[in-house]
Amino acid sequence: MSTAVLEHGAWSRPGLHAQVVRKRRDGRCETVLHVDSVHTPHQVLRLESHLQCAAGLDRFDLDRAAQRLRVTWDPGQTSLPDLLAVCANAGCTARPLSTVALDITRRQESHAALKRLVVAGLFAMQAMMFASVLYFGHFERVDSVTRELFRWLGLLAAAPVVLWAALPFYRQTLSDLRHRRLGTEAVVALAVGLIFLASILSTVRGYGAVYFESISMLVFVLLLGRYLELRARHRSGALGEAAADAEPIASQRRKADGSLEWVAVAELEKGDAVHVAEGGVIPADGRVANATVLVDEALLSGESTPRKRNRGQPLVAGSVVVTGPLEMIVEQGAATSALAALGALACQAGRQAGLPTQDRAAARFASRVLVLTVLSALFWLWFDPSRAFDAAVAVLVVACPCAFALAAPVVASRAISILGQRGVWVTRASALAVLARADHAAFDKTGTLTEPHLDRDNIKVLRGGDSTHLLHLAASLARESRHPLSRLITEAAGQASLPVASDVEIVDGGGVRGLIDGRKLRLGRAGFVSDQPIPDEYLHEALLLADEEGLLAVFPLHEQPRDHVVDSLAALANDGMQLQILSGDAAPRVDKIARRLKVRDWHARMSPQQKLELIQSRRTEGAVVLAVGDGSNDAPFLAAADVSAAMVSGTELAQAHADLLLTDGIRSLPLAQHIARSAQRILQQNRRGSLIYNFAAVPFAAAGLVPPWLAVIGMSLSSLCVVLNALRIRAPKPPAEATGSPMQVQPA
Amino acid sequence: MNALLILIPVSLLLIVAAAAVFFWAVRNNQFDDLDTPEILPLLDDVDETPEVSEQIKEEAQHDD
Repeated sequence: MSTAVLEHGAWSRPGLHAQVVRKRRDGRCETVLHVDSVHTPHQVLRLESHLQCAAGLDRFDLDRAAQRLRVTWDPGQTSLPDLLAVCANAGCTARPLSTVALDITRRQESHAALKRLVVAGLFAMQAMMFASVLYFGHFERVDSVTRELFRWLGLLAAAPVVLWAALPFYRQTLSDLRHRRLGTEAVVALAVGLIFLASILSTVRGYGAVYFESISMLVFVLLLGRYLELRARHRSGALGEAAADAEPIASQRRKADGSLEWVAVAELEKGDAVHVAEGGVIPADGRVANATVLVDEALLSGESTPRKRNRGQPLVAGSVVVTGPLEMIVEQGAATSALAALGALACQAGRQAGLPTQDRAAARFASRVLVLTVLSALFWLWFDPSRAFDAAVAVLVVACPCAFALAAPVVASRAISILGQRGVWVTRASALAVLARADHAAFDKTGTLTEPHLDRDNIKVLRGGDSTHLLHLAASLARESRHPLSRLITEAAGQASLPVASDVEIVDGGGVRGLIDGRKLRLGRAGFVSDQPIPDEYLHEALLLADEEGLLAVFPLHEQPRDHVVDSLAALANDGMQLQILSGDAAPRVDKIARRLKVRDWHARMSPQQKLELIQSRRTEGAVVLAVGDGSNDAPFLAAADVSAAMVSGTELAQAHADLLLTDGIRSLPLAQHIARSAQRILQQNRRGSLIYNFAAVPFAAAGLVPPWLAVIGMSLSSLCVVLNALRIRAPKPPAEATGSPMQVQPA
Repeated sequence: MNALLILIPVSLLLIVAAAAVFFWAVRNNQFDDLDTPEILPLLDDVDETPEVSEQIKEEAQHDD
């Protein structure tokens, strides 16, 4: 989405400043900037080296994947405009985000998990060291004082692990119990708590086995599994509060005396006159006040064909002005704009859809462990009461779900990292389990399944030469622009030597204009290219080339399925998925594409609300729905589906509500589903294997035959097996072309 | 036995110190970006501050 570039000085206006900067209690100011050029390490390091030289800057934190830079500075020494200038010098356009973006919890989550992990690791190692003395006590005589000392030391070493590092398990268990659910955390919390208490009792009494090192190691291994999964998820990028990024913060209001002032969008009221430059984003819903303009309403319809709006006709916040400038009268404040409504609709849909399913396997496991423990205690109480307690604890240790609880995080992190290498970024790990079960797929059309394509044979020449010559003229303008449509022209011209264009200016949403051989030429959409009224057949689906006197040529654009879409959809259909196309576009165009893609079920002219309702009705019929889209208008239906995927080239609002991000288009979907299914299979194997180990060893523990050191070995070996099994998840074929590491992928 | 009485508290103190240092490192975001630093030795001009690059530009102009 294009935004008019705000000169840095405008950010010192109090209204705007308050929107984006937060003043801390110690007098420092902080803000979060969205930075665009931080994809390669070179760019990152250049930005960081410039920032380090900035005076008055206290600290800065760059989150490369999320493209956010958090800065804290001393307002006495520097200011927000100065910092924006520093970023610009480093070659990076920085845009302040609203203060809502300051409260990102992702980094805090990752830090807290790492701290717990390391504490658990360090103290578990210490507990193991102390326990090894007691192990030797089995094979050689160790005097009772030493034994006593090392039992207490073991308790001391295990205490931080059980009482602090394992807190997430206890918290999750409590919250699960409040919702009447039982998950793996409950099993772990139960086991760790009971064994710790029993070991304390043994230590205080002076006799009986202690298992401090077992539970410390258990907590450490489980925290490691969860940390790896967290890390894999965070590497996938994607923002939680991306809706804030999508909305413009500043706009130009026309004052009573006719001059313009920059104000925060939140300050706009009904009746304000707002000026939007060509290429700018309309900040609020309103009506056109000057002459006819062309606006790009991809936001609502998903279609990028510009629409004409005459004086008095309504405008939607978030659409882009193609030909301008635009003077408008605001009708609704930003909070009630259509964009905000889409965001709210998506959030609401997401909340209704996203309740986690109960982990029934874990619940069964927990109850079985308890039953076994009680049974063996009862048995020994009857047979030899003095051994009842020890036998019960031994059973609890051996039935301990180390491998079982490790199974899910390890499989999830492996699957996520493999998918990451293949260009599918997973933002919610639970999505993979649902993807494995998905049987319905609903696709948006434009941008997801199709892309524009230049029809070289049908170039319509109006005057001024033959089609090849005009194509070369167009290409010499087009090569200055990175817009996908310009690239089509440049590619069509091929390797021919092109005339040189000077004074080239690129207008966002409109096209390119420049000077070739003394002639002023314009290439772009209708309306930008010529002020003359253009016959409507040229308005849609074409790029036009014109000079000062009028139109020269028309380059028709046809919609074509993206590479590999036909194959990917066929692969999905073969796997048993039912396919559907939902589009906001007109019926004939949707029909044409659906025919080519061999999809029988398609719907046209759908509003975001209608797409949402269709998905919901499918879900109530019992289907598990995968939704794929790319535009802001897709955000509600992405949020409502069981699992959703968005294109990385799509809008930020769509990406925020999707579980998967596809960097390579639909091509990776069959692979993603294959890996999700294989991950589920291996997860089941892991769980079953660990259950078999746990329950097979119980009789031995009940008989009192399992000393602590053997219990620890059993726990470690079973966890190792689970991890090695998870490594068996692999992609079926090597990639045909390298997709590159996540560092080098540039979202379009 | 005397050695143990000294070594055990020392080892516990070392662990606590290690944990404290680690907490400091985490709070200072040392573990957030694990990809960029490995490229650092391979890049030529990353040590340039804005002043240095200005200098280099001026020298280049003088040479012309």
